[in-house]
Amino acid sequence: MAPTDLPEAAQRRLSEGAFSSALGVSDFAACLEMGLEPVGLVQGFCAMQQGSYMMGGLSRSLSPYGGSAGGYVQNYQCSHGMISNEHRTWGQNYEQTWVETAWMQGFTSSFSRMLEEAGELGAHGVVGVVDTVTRLTDAKVLEFHMVGTAVKVLDAPAPTTPPWSTYLAGQRLSKLFEAGLVPVSIIASISSIRVWAYCTTEFLMGGAGTMLRNSSGPQEIDQIVSAKSQARFIARSNVRAQLGSDSLRGANLELGEWEFERGDYEFQAVLRGNRVRRFKNFDPLPVPRATVRLS
Amino acid sequence: MSDVTSDLPQATGHRLEELEKGLFTSDLSVNEFLLIKEVGFHPVGFVMGSSIYHTGIQTRKWGQSLELTKLTEAMYNARELAMTRMEEEAAELGADGVVGVRLTVNYYDWGKDAAEFIAVGTAVTAEDGVSRLNKLGKPFTSDLSGQDFWTLLQTGYFPQGLVMGTCVYHIAHRGIGQTLGTTGQNVELPNFTQALYEARELAMTRMQDEATQLGATGIVGVRLEEKSHQWGSHTIEFLSLGTAVLKTSGDVTLAKPVTIITLDG
Repeated sequence: MAPTDLPEAAQRRLSEGAFSSALGVSDFAACLEMGLEPVGLVQGFCAMQQGSYMMGGLSRSLSPYGGSAGGYVQNYQCSHGMISNEHRTWGQNYEQTWVETAWMQGFTSSFSRMLEEAGELGAHGVVGVVDTVTRLTDAKVLEFHMVGTAVKVLDAPAPTTPPWSTYLAGQRLSKLFEAGLVPVSIIASISSIRVWAYCTTEFLMGGAGTMLRNSSGPQEIDQIVSAKSQARFIARSNVRAQLGSDSLRGANLELGEWEFERGDYEFQAVLRGNRVRRFKNFDPLPVPRATVRLS
Repeated sequence: MSDVTSDLPQATGHRLEELEKGLFTSDLSVNEFLLIKEVGFHPVGFVMGSSIYHTGIQTRKWGQSLELTKLTEAMYNARELAMTRMEEEAAELGADGVVGVRLTVNYYDWGKDAAEFIAVGTAVTAEDGVSRLNKLGKPFTSDLSGQDFWTLLQTGYFPQGLVMGTCVYHIAHRGIGQTLGTTGQNVELPNFTQALYEARELAMTRMQDEATQLGATGIVGVRLEEKSHQWGSHTIEFLSLGTAVLKTSGDVTLAKPVTIITLDG
């Protein structure tokens, strides 16, 4: 399914008269107040199979990952030498670039389709975007679902550029305009770091480490700290690379983690936000009124 | 209970008679009650409609994505019956509309393949005596809270009806050949994308068709719900719900929001 290929049902829905909107009434009212007219609920989907790099299980326990898929790699070597076959003398953190690529492809395709629906409606922008990523029945298949409300700017000429988009709606969007900023686009990035723990990390993470922990006292787990820091750093760097001269507002960083088996972890950082551009100098907001709720 | 226009249970008649004498019941919170009064409406009773529906069986093909039209019809008809009975209760009370409508589906151990569809809400009537029935001559329905109802009226819009569209869709399983052909690759699965896309768009189109029948200019608060009910993970019901609205006044009387700092701890 090419990104420009909306289903027939979507074309039919968008050609009908009544507008639909995913906005709640408060956000809907705020839109009207700002001079934005909702013209339709728009959405985009993409079911994406996540590939693999054949790094799981036995193959990885035999030799360290060489990093041929690019990205961050960090090796850990224990100082205990060969004790037994079960003893993990080496460990590794590496960036799963193929996971990141699949995620970004799914996100971008669903985003393009949503904008295409908005374009069909002659919208200037899309507000209140909600994007979700869910696992379909097949564990390796992710579904990217993006939904928002297409709006037209009242009394403005027909758009000649692709619609702008934002996660914001209602009063939060209103405050953005008041602050002299306009939305350009939603923006997102993911990083995925796989951790193959070496003996010290494995012990400290709980497995067989009770005695070691007790003898050495509280201790930072370097390999895990490094993996999580890198996950956040890469997600931030990727977003920064997309911003150009604009800035990011209303950002939300989520960190997910999974343990596949003892000492085998994945950390993902997903950063979402609004790319915004200044169009006028900041006008100070009115002095807030202090209130005490009586209920 | 097949005749939905006049066939309410006996207990309903007795309860509604009491309500007609002036006592009202409602599931509105105090704030909602006050806001509804503020815009000139008065609650006249808590109303509901129910339908226990046997959803039947429809065969699906393992490798084919398609709409299961019998199940779609069943899910739609059952909700429609529940909604119509609720509207009938509201009409008995002389109500102009029903606010805070909630639609739920319950399954019971004693009813295999059967589900109970329930619609509940608070019937309201206009205090100025001017009819607010919708284009179809029925009380308007809406899933808006009292606060949202108040806000909507300040924008010059008025609810016409709770509109919905549904689509039960079977998502094809992937064959061994398809699975092996893409093993280890990052690749979009167009069959899945297309099926899910199509199903949601069909549900939304049907919802919009309902709004058009009501002469509405738009639908607010649209939400998409997805449930597999008892059919297994590859068969999904996509339900689209929202409140159809009509612009009845050019005036927007909503006050400009004031920035506040709450002093609550």
